[in-house]
Amino acid sequence: MMRARIFSVCVAAVFVFLGLNLFNMQVIQGRRYRDMSNKNCIRLIPQAGMRGSILDRNGVVLVGSVLSYDVVVLPQESARVEQILAFLSSITGTGLPQLRKNYRKNYSSPSMPVPVIRDVDRQTAAKLEEMKLDIDSLIVQQTPVRSYPHGSLASHVLGYLNEIDHWRLTKLQDYGYKTRDIVGFGGVEEKYDYYLRQEDGGLSVEVDHRGRFTRVLGFRPPLKGKDVQVTLDWRIQKIAEDALAGFKGAVVIMDPFSGEVIACASAPDFDPSVFVKRNYSAMGPLFNDPNAPSMNRAITGTYPPGSVFKMVGAAAGLESGKISSSTTHYCPGSLTVGSREFKCWNTHGNMDLIQAIAQSCDVFFYKTGLAVGGQMIHDYALRFGMGRPTGIELPYESAGNVPNPFWKRVYKFQRWYDGDTANFVIGQGELLTSPLQLCRFTAVFANGGSLVTPYIIKAIDGRDVSAAHRKVSPVNLRRSTIERIREGMRQVVSGDAGTARALAALRVSVAGKTGTAQTSGDKTHAWFSGFFPYEQPRYCICVFLERGGSGGTASVVARQIIESMIQEGVL
Amino acid sequence: MKTEIKIPAIAMTISLVGIVTIYSSTYMKQGEFWQSMYQRQILWVALGLAAYAVFSRINYRRIWDWTYVIYALVIVLLLLVVGSGIVRLGAQRWLRIAWFNLQPSELAKFAVLIYMGRYCSKKSADDVGLKAHRYGIIRGLLIPFFFVAIPAAFIVEQPDLGSGALVFFLFLLMLYLGNIRLRYLALVVGILVAAMPVAWHFLHGYQRDRILVFLNPNIDPLGAGYTIIQSKIAIGSGGFFGKGWLAGTQSQLFFLPEAHTDFIFAAFTEQWGFVGGALLLLLYYLLIRQGINIAQTTGDHYGRLLSMGISLMLAIQICINLAMNMGLAPVVGIPLPLMSYGGSSVIITYICLGMMANINRTRAVF
Repeated sequence: MMRARIFSVCVAAVFVFLGLNLFNMQVIQGRRYRDMSNKNCIRLIPQAGMRGSILDRNGVVLVGSVLSYDVVVLPQESARVEQILAFLSSITGTGLPQLRKNYRKNYSSPSMPVPVIRDVDRQTAAKLEEMKLDIDSLIVQQTPVRSYPHGSLASHVLGYLNEIDHWRLTKLQDYGYKTRDIVGFGGVEEKYDYYLRQEDGGLSVEVDHRGRFTRVLGFRPPLKGKDVQVTLDWRIQKIAEDALAGFKGAVVIMDPFSGEVIACASAPDFDPSVFVKRNYSAMGPLFNDPNAPSMNRAITGTYPPGSVFKMVGAAAGLESGKISSSTTHYCPGSLTVGSREFKCWNTHGNMDLIQAIAQSCDVFFYKTGLAVGGQMIHDYALRFGMGRPTGIELPYESAGNVPNPFWKRVYKFQRWYDGDTANFVIGQGELLTSPLQLCRFTAVFANGGSLVTPYIIKAIDGRDVSAAHRKVSPVNLRRSTIERIREGMRQVVSGDAGTARALAALRVSVAGKTGTAQTSGDKTHAWFSGFFPYEQPRYCICVFLERGGSGGTASVVARQIIESMIQEGVL
Repeated sequence: MKTEIKIPAIAMTISLVGIVTIYSSTYMKQGEFWQSMYQRQILWVALGLAAYAVFSRINYRRIWDWTYVIYALVIVLLLLVVGSGIVRLGAQRWLRIAWFNLQPSELAKFAVLIYMGRYCSKKSADDVGLKAHRYGIIRGLLIPFFFVAIPAAFIVEQPDLGSGALVFFLFLLMLYLGNIRLRYLALVVGILVAAMPVAWHFLHGYQRDRILVFLNPNIDPLGAGYTIIQSKIAIGSGGFFGKGWLAGTQSQLFFLPEAHTDFIFAAFTEQWGFVGGALLLLLYYLLIRQGINIAQTTGDHYGRLLSMGISLMLAIQICINLAMNMGLAPVVGIPLPLMSYGGSSVIITYICLGMMANINRTRAVF
């Protein structure tokens, strides 16, 4: 039986082989198969939590969440689905072809509910909920949806919500963010997403091979995100935005002593609810519009400050002793620096410092600047917080740019000429500042010599965090320097020839400085940066109008804002 | 332990495991048919044990005389299947006899086994020597081929390619064990290999799919590859100790198809893990080993061939079924002997084991 013996060996060998293979599958690769098995039969049905609200300084809800009712259908035989859709169509009035299209588009797997109509009104939702007993595969799902009770108010500061993009995902996935998560874009929504973010809960259920529910394995309730309170006052914010209507530009209103930002407006603005409604036809133009409505001009935009910057020159001159309060310069209407003639906007005659600030005399400051030198003006500009981000807790803040001789050599391969100094001291040329930086700069004169750090977050989840943000540091200027420049700023409004006389008639005493900055085009940027009341400043205001004309226009806008504030009784 | 106790003890243990597993795979399903399935299997096992008791007491040499009767009966039954069989799962494999659904292809395996055993152990009237190794090509190959090809063709036509191939394989095996000249076997194997591309065209679409899917299950994960993938997941996810009885998600939530018949091994190992699977393998091996031992210690050529043939038939079915469960062989409809649900299979297997036991018992007389 030789032949039989071969078989008995073969059988033994095959059994050993099968045993080894079993060992390989169950013990060596067991974990992998166990995962696959779990994936087979465990489904997660997410339940969205509510994102935290954003409140203004008085607790008024700026951005909140409301429940939206989505109608979802559990997948099943097509004839039954057709029946349910027809029924839905008769209740809600939505066309049947549209429902079919939605069903096909949103269908993902046999065990996942398919959203058919999003955001039905409350009555329809209640009506459908009553029908639930008859049609058990029709579910009205409650989803929290971001709501904007004030429309586009402060949209730049607050930001908007959208599906996470690839760049954010790569940054945030270590913190538990997943694809298709809704996250904040821009403003507080983005910067404080970690706190505002809700924790989604859900059911984990076991299903059989047809995706039919067999039992609940676990449940985690969804958690609401933390509320964030900002320092904005929605009434003042609204006043600022209304005053900006029709312009491109920005308004920043700040507490000069603490750095709390009371209002921060940027125009044109956008409606953040288009992202919630997934209104693609409105989202596209938002980013392609040449007017850049999605950009926050108050902190991201940087522009030449024009004559507002003259106060830096004044401070540098006074501190270095190159000028004093009694120094006078004669303004013949222009000054020749090197081989070029630098014009003044008017022929002012004899000017002392206060008059020069009040009337914004260029020649006075050309001469002061040339005496002080470009490098020192640069140093003082930095002391006033220009050329670097202010540190406000909002994303995408720009640093701006403050030129100096070294910078020019390195970046432009050119010498620094006296002409550059003359241009620099009147806030032209390569100098770029954001409206927020100028507001902070103005605050130094309002509060008597301290550089504040603007901040916008007042409290998180009811706990006051403003103390952590409040940073006030002295600029180390002489008392007399501050006093002289303050006087000059008051004269801008109250003086006979002041450039912001439009503000003189107000019941509140305003001090400030206008600016008219040349641009590449034919229209100039208009600035007004000041504070009020003069005696005991409560607010710093910076109005910027992009290609909005002369500084006088900006002061008119400022007057409108302050007038409205008085009327509304918030002053 | 004595062989005559070992065989029924091992077989009963395996059957018991089978009943428990059938219960676990069907108790969640809706309907009286599924709920009572394990009870019917208990009945089949009881009938099988009775058949075992009977056949272990009938002298196996009496079967020699019945060979052609059984053969003719099988042909008639197969013809009836073609005429009036029950169509289930797209195949016509069953005959309804009173309350019993008979699967004649199971019987055909048995018939071919005893036919070949008898054919290969014919003795010469002159010198009382075996004739098989002196057969020429006609008597050594063509005549038995003719006899085997008729039932095999019926089975393949049902269609049940797996059982048909098994019958044909059994035929080659018995020729080999019967000491037919090797060159004839080589010829058959040569023809088979050469005919494969031609045979491909005669396969049903789903049969081709099964072979393609075996080569790569992921070409059709929800269609033909689904069974293999789910079976592998079921086995692998069992781990070392298993998920526990009635806690196998793959089989109890019906991800695994045919968890009570062809894929019962996957359902079992999902619940009992490597520990259970390895023990089951050991039991099967011990059972097969009994038949081989009997064959090696039996002087009678017919008894030797029968015993060897029975244990090899079992071994082949077991190995193919297990390999198919583990994704090592294409999905062919071959049940796991003694474990899978099915009256015909259970009873025929017990009859075979009964004959094996009888060969062992009779040997002692010689």
